[in-house]
Amino acid sequence: MPMYGDLGNKLVQHAKRTQNLTHLPPYQTELVRAVTREVRDLDKDVASLLEPFQGSFDPSADQATACTLLVNHLSMRRNKRCLLAYHRTRTDKLEELVWNGSDVLDLAGQQAGGVNGAAADSGAGSSLSPQEEDYFRQYGDLLSAYKGQWTDIDLTGSLEPPRDLFIDVRVLKDAGEIQTEYGAINLTKNSQFYVRQGDVERLIAQGYLQKLG
Amino acid sequence: MDIDDILREVDPTFHSIPQEKRDLQELTRAWIAERSAPELLAWPADGLFERINDNIKQQIEKVEEMTGDMDPKTNFALIVIQTELERYRYLVRSYLRARIAKIDRHTLHYLSTDELRARLSEMELAYATRHQALLHNHYLSSFLSSFPANLQNLNDAAAGISMIETPDLESAVFIRALKDTPVEARGVDTDAYADLKESDIVILRWADAKKLVEAGTAELV
Repeated sequence: MPMYGDLGNKLVQHAKRTQNLTHLPPYQTELVRAVTREVRDLDKDVASLLEPFQGSFDPSADQATACTLLVNHLSMRRNKRCLLAYHRTRTDKLEELVWNGSDVLDLAGQQAGGVNGAAADSGAGSSLSPQEEDYFRQYGDLLSAYKGQWTDIDLTGSLEPPRDLFIDVRVLKDAGEIQTEYGAINLTKNSQFYVRQGDVERLIAQGYLQKLG
Repeated sequence: MDIDDILREVDPTFHSIPQEKRDLQELTRAWIAERSAPELLAWPADGLFERINDNIKQQIEKVEEMTGDMDPKTNFALIVIQTELERYRYLVRSYLRARIAKIDRHTLHYLSTDELRARLSEMELAYATRHQALLHNHYLSSFLSSFPANLQNLNDAAAGISMIETPDLESAVFIRALKDTPVEARGVDTDAYADLKESDIVILRWADAKKLVEAGTAELV
């Protein structure tokens, strides 16, 4: 027989696993719903247990009921913590993706590509819940608003201390033409350039270029 | 004001250090401190970041002006300026990101009292408030709204345990004494007292180091 909190525990295990993954595993819609349902059922239990007492329940007179109430009370709160932890772990991951400049469409595409290849455009393969997709977009807006106030800094830039102004890069994927202060460079696959790091940082982060040396 | 401030005022070398250089020192110090301290430190209030932003803008303009010049001498200067600019930018970026990371981790804590809110810059406050609202909405639409009403709060303190996590003020930091000062620090079994000489470095709990750092008697390293 499943015990109170078993489902919550599963969620926490999912969350724990997610922490060590580079991608986001599919959202556990059913599990979240089941844990939420458990909370509502427990709350109903509490209400029906308390009903005969008409608000004058004395824990020391009826210790068995008091104990049941306490267990229910704690189980509800525990489930809530599990749900919060699960969702927070995932939003943390989502925020990390936003900082790295990922796109919500990229994300859905990656997932579908990994699971069932061709069904990329159906949207069914997305590992995000609809709420998470909203969150992802809204956080992206929030971050660009904050970034916009530091236009000269490029907040999402590299957190490695800069060593050289210029670096050697190899082009991994065609990235088209970019404008630098030394003129335009056409980035075609497999070519190699000596460029200013600040000009290409974004492209390195997105995987178009590889830093050499 | 103590004796050092008075000495500094009559010291001819103090005012001869250009503002830009002092700003850079201040930024570097704030950056190191922010990265070492377990909790968010106060946002520099004296317009430091406005000045830094202006400096960066000026340098960017200078770089743009100099770029057209083909003289090798200018070219060399250009590289020096650009390298310096990149480093300056890195400092600001790393500083801001360190703060954002702390704010994200304990958002509700930093928004909970006026005293804590005062540590955030206006922009950070707007960011933190909005971020918390987004998270709360996300929880609500994902599961919280179907909870019983008395369980929907995010700031309960049931059974003496608050839902709001706070930074660990007891974690260890290294500090360097900027002048001779006595220091007392709590240990696990016994407390310790020591007389620090200028530039001595010790490790102790942040909760004990905090007042020294805030008074400017010591700095984080």
